[in-house]
Amino acid sequence: MLIERLSPLASSLFSLLAIISLLLSFVMLGSRWLKNYLYAFAAESWAIAALSAAVGFYGSYPELYLIAILTLLFRGLLLPYLIWRIIQRLSVDREIHEILQPASALVVGALSVMFALAVSYRVGTALHLELTVAVLALTVMLSIKLIGFLMLAVRHEAISQILGLLVLENGIFLGSQILVPGMPLLIELVILFDLLIVVACFGVLVGYLMTHIGSTSALRLNRLVG
Amino acid sequence: MSARDILLQIAQVAAVVFLAPLIQGIILQFEERVERGRGPGIFQPYRDLWKLFHKQIVVPQTASWLFWVTPVIAFTCMLTVPLLIPVLTSFPLPLSDMGDILGGGLILTLGSFMIILAGLDTASANGGIGSSRAAMLSILAEPTLILVFVGITLLAKAMLPFVVNHLLVASWAVYWSPAHLFLVAAFFILLLVETDRMPIHSSTHIEVYMIEEGRILEYCGPLLALLKWASAMKQFILYTIFCNVLVLPWGLSIAGGALGALGAAAGLIVKFTLVAGVVVFVETAQSRLRFYRYQEPLAASFLLAVLAITGTQLS
Repeated sequence: MLIERLSPLASSLFSLLAIISLLLSFVMLGSRWLKNYLYAFAAESWAIAALSAAVGFYGSYPELYLIAILTLLFRGLLLPYLIWRIIQRLSVDREIHEILQPASALVVGALSVMFALAVSYRVGTALHLELTVAVLALTVMLSIKLIGFLMLAVRHEAISQILGLLVLENGIFLGSQILVPGMPLLIELVILFDLLIVVACFGVLVGYLMTHIGSTSALRLNRLVG
Repeated sequence: MSARDILLQIAQVAAVVFLAPLIQGIILQFEERVERGRGPGIFQPYRDLWKLFHKQIVVPQTASWLFWVTPVIAFTCMLTVPLLIPVLTSFPLPLSDMGDILGGGLILTLGSFMIILAGLDTASANGGIGSSRAAMLSILAEPTLILVFVGITLLAKAMLPFVVNHLLVASWAVYWSPAHLFLVAAFFILLLVETDRMPIHSSTHIEVYMIEEGRILEYCGPLLALLKWASAMKQFILYTIFCNVLVLPWGLSIAGGALGALGAAAGLIVKFTLVAGVVVFVETAQSRLRFYRYQEPLAASFLLAVLAITGTQLS
């Protein structure tokens, strides 16, 4: 495995990029404005793209460079642009339907990081991953996923829900880059196009919601219509 | 215990007492310059203190003995803390093992606690508002402060600020470790809260949104001078902890000579000016928020402290 033969410099670089991504997902969790949310998502994708490139460089996987470029283009530019267009069309600036205040959400997020740390220690010992960077990658992956779930749970605006899903996916991608680099290129491509389809579907759905309900809050979707 | 060490210990306290108004003046002057004013000059706090000490004392009729003892206790607390932290020297002085980081935090908080009581004591509306706001902020800031101290303790495996200082000077790996960077960020937010420079505080002090000033509005003359001096010293002490223990642990006197102590004092001014620049940038660049947004930066600071502790568990 790659992480067992990393130089100290490489592992500290990986940790730094992973932690920057974690911090950016906290920025998303704590922000009130959808714009900031989107910028933080784009920046997180760039950090993950840089991580892919770094893993490709230190582990000599040339195809990871291509994945890094694709990540940068798709997750870092295209998806934020599409979501930005949806936001422009809806003229909603800020999340008005939050259940949990951003401040409380941050504290809950901090608790989820502790939970993720405890879980990844167990997982690390079970899988004999004693290295710091492996446990760190597991922790960051699990906590970004938990934060993504939290965003899905505490926010109701349709845009926040798309972003929550994308953050969730970013977390899994980040973990896989460090822990099992060198996945087949085809799978990565499939995932990226899946994401594109997710965002496109959401765009259509949001337009539908606006015409039929007049709001994009998921709270209003409480009635089954046959 | 040598005579030199005792002299150095006195010099530490003297440095805090006599340089604290200067730092206050530098920050206020920076702020004025950023807001395109001329500013009163960096020595204005000294002139203010001089003027206040020559005024007469007027005490409200509703005030009890608490009103009289508070300025003295607050000032004494701020005189005690510099004994415990590395202000000029990087080695412990005779009385430095009197208390650890938590002890210093306790004494610092005791001063603010007494001022909160004094604000309530005179039964004036402004004092009540100021005290309740300050109490709310410190209730939220205190757990984070304790968590930051726990993080420092886990990082250095010791509760003494001198050990942390030596560890950071000795090893770049620890200095750039995520745990340390998170601690710096968490403590920076606390520094803004405790020194009255959050975006929720107003930069012109005597007005409706005042927090710290509201508590001491009933004071005048020498008592007010003592309180103002104590708050400048508190700011100086927090800056000292931030610089000498966390961010810029270099430039302290290692041998303990007179020249070294003077150089360390000059270094302190330079370091504090750097930190003050950042603080003034945050205070003026960020538009002022309403008071009820106070929990967000504090929650962020709590989060950073938790992440720092997580980081210490990883390395």
